[in-house]
Amino acid sequence: MERTVEVVPDAGLHARPAAAFVRAANEFEAELTVGRPGEEGVGANSMLAVTGLNVRNGETVRIVAEGDDAAEALDALEAVLTTPVEGKNGESDSEPATDSGGGEPP
Amino acid sequence: MRTLSGVGTTPLSGVGRARWYRPEAALSLPERPDPETVDPEAEVERVERARDEAREALAVARDRTADRVGADEAAVFEAHRQFLDDPQLVGDIEDAVADGTLAEHAVADRFAEAVAQFEGLEGRMAERADDLRDVRDRLLRALLGIDAVDLAALPSETVLLAERLTPSDTAELDPDAVAGIVTATGGRTAHAAIIARALSIPAVVGVGDGLATVDEGVDVLVDGEAGEVVVDPDERRRASAGGVEAPVRTERVHTADGRAVEVAANVGRVAELGPAAERGADGVGLFRTEFLFLDRATPPDEDEQYEAITAALAAFPDDRVVVRTLDVGGDKPVPYLDTPTETNPFLGRRGIRPSLDEHADLFETQLRVLLRATASDHGDGLAVMFPMVARVEEVEAALDRIEAVAEDLDAAGIDHAMPELGAMVETPAAAFLADELADRLDFLSIGTNDLTQYVMAADRENEGVATLHDPLHPAVLRAIDRTAEATGRTDAWIGMCGEMAGDPALTELLVGLGLDELSASSVTVPAVKARVRETDADDAAALAERALACQTREGVLDVLDRS
Repeated sequence: MERTVEVVPDAGLHARPAAAFVRAANEFEAELTVGRPGEEGVGANSMLAVTGLNVRNGETVRIVAEGDDAAEALDALEAVLTTPVEGKNGESDSEPATDSGGGEPP
Repeated sequence: MRTLSGVGTTPLSGVGRARWYRPEAALSLPERPDPETVDPEAEVERVERARDEAREALAVARDRTADRVGADEAAVFEAHRQFLDDPQLVGDIEDAVADGTLAEHAVADRFAEAVAQFEGLEGRMAERADDLRDVRDRLLRALLGIDAVDLAALPSETVLLAERLTPSDTAELDPDAVAGIVTATGGRTAHAAIIARALSIPAVVGVGDGLATVDEGVDVLVDGEAGEVVVDPDERRRASAGGVEAPVRTERVHTADGRAVEVAANVGRVAELGPAAERGADGVGLFRTEFLFLDRATPPDEDEQYEAITAALAAFPDDRVVVRTLDVGGDKPVPYLDTPTETNPFLGRRGIRPSLDEHADLFETQLRVLLRATASDHGDGLAVMFPMVARVEEVEAALDRIEAVAEDLDAAGIDHAMPELGAMVETPAAAFLADELADRLDFLSIGTNDLTQYVMAADRENEGVATLHDPLHPAVLRAIDRTAEATGRTDAWIGMCGEMAGDPALTELLVGLGLDELSASSVTVPAVKARVRETDADDAAALAERALACQTREGVLDVLDRS
């Protein structure tokens, strides 16, 4: 089973959002991959692989899950990808151009 | 003295002794042994132990950063832990070790591939390379049994130089010991820069290869405002940095040839009074009373204001305390005052204007407080000044108000005296009317930030006109000169409050322009006093003449040898 999700955090799949994504992926038994639609996915449990995709804010990714808890895993990963970064300013995760801006409140 | 340029990421300055941080240099790997001689099982165990150790160290760094800086900044260490436990990386390392590679080489090799994946890319991807190096070095240090340089225990007044600093390096630094950070790589939004900013450590990043030419042990000035690194700075450059303190002098100072120049402090809150006195300020040149009114739901009552004013007088029992009456509006809206929205707030209802009109009641209360305070202990040091005056009529109206309040107090049998009275010269109009204003008052004080804004028609807050907003422009200098000269023809004294008065590099010029008093943030008081003592009044006057004759800002900079 799979799901296509638009990435909401300003930083895309980097730093904090990526760490949250990988941590979530590691909580499930299901085999999970993530990638751009039409391309082969990478292991969702690997920080290296996930940040290596260099997915930016606003891009769409496809998550594929196989296993008993696949549906729950997809829900959890979608939640990470659609939650703006928490915190007071999100400075560390925003692009240089939005130095003073950053994440909206969740 | 030579200067390197980079990107200033913390707008503070500091001076200290250069110390190189080269974590990579210590991590020299052993020779690659013959795979036959390596015990794969033992190596797997070593990798496991190193990962455990690194994981613990990361937890410490995360907690320390969360504690000292903030949860947002600490989150980067969660990303580091994810790299440490990355199944792909760990799997590759374990495979290599199983094939007879020494743990150190397995880690170095696999991380080199991962770093290469991100290296040379822009922005976020380059930061990931830094994160990976950070994790790799932790693992290698653990494997090699090398303690990292203890960044948390650097000697005081250290300027730390490094090719790059990881976020965990930066978070370990003790802001009290580290006078500055300079790195060859990095940008404003790198995590290390963000943490340095949060720790208030002066920092310049992205200096480039030139940094390598700076030797261990030399004195370095880090100017995070200008993005400059000055190697072996001269005295004047040192004096302009907050890092090196001129000796504190509590006594009044004179120029070398005996002209008295008062050096006072600008103060916004009662809590700032003690530090100002400790730094040897000759009283308060500007007490900004608006801080009593901001950040609250209702105006402060008479007693509360009285306490603040008498606290200021008590902090400077032998000195003058110049209290500026309420200066709100413009960039300082006060919610309960129902300030109207204006098209050009800086040209609108601000300074003395609302006090004489829609906020006459607040003004009257404040004048009552100030007059009462003259009868308190040390009340004879009180002076009162009116902000952003543009017309003689405004000063006359303000004087009428204070006379009226004095009569009320007389009628009520409340002790009081008339304080010294003055006005701020912030508008070109006030500079042109300085003669007439000074005739009616005891003193004038030039507010250079606003005066520059209005003379140059350049909004202080607008970065698009930042180069126009420069008090060293001849037009501004001539406005200052005109004000000082006109005041000099009267019995009034002339002071200056504002950033310009606090720049020790400009002290000679300002003395030359004829100012009797300079009032600056208390941090710069010792340096300004030191400069006054070195100044010769005749030389200063000649310098001012040359500056006033310039047609351009660049000309002034040449005269001041600041180009």
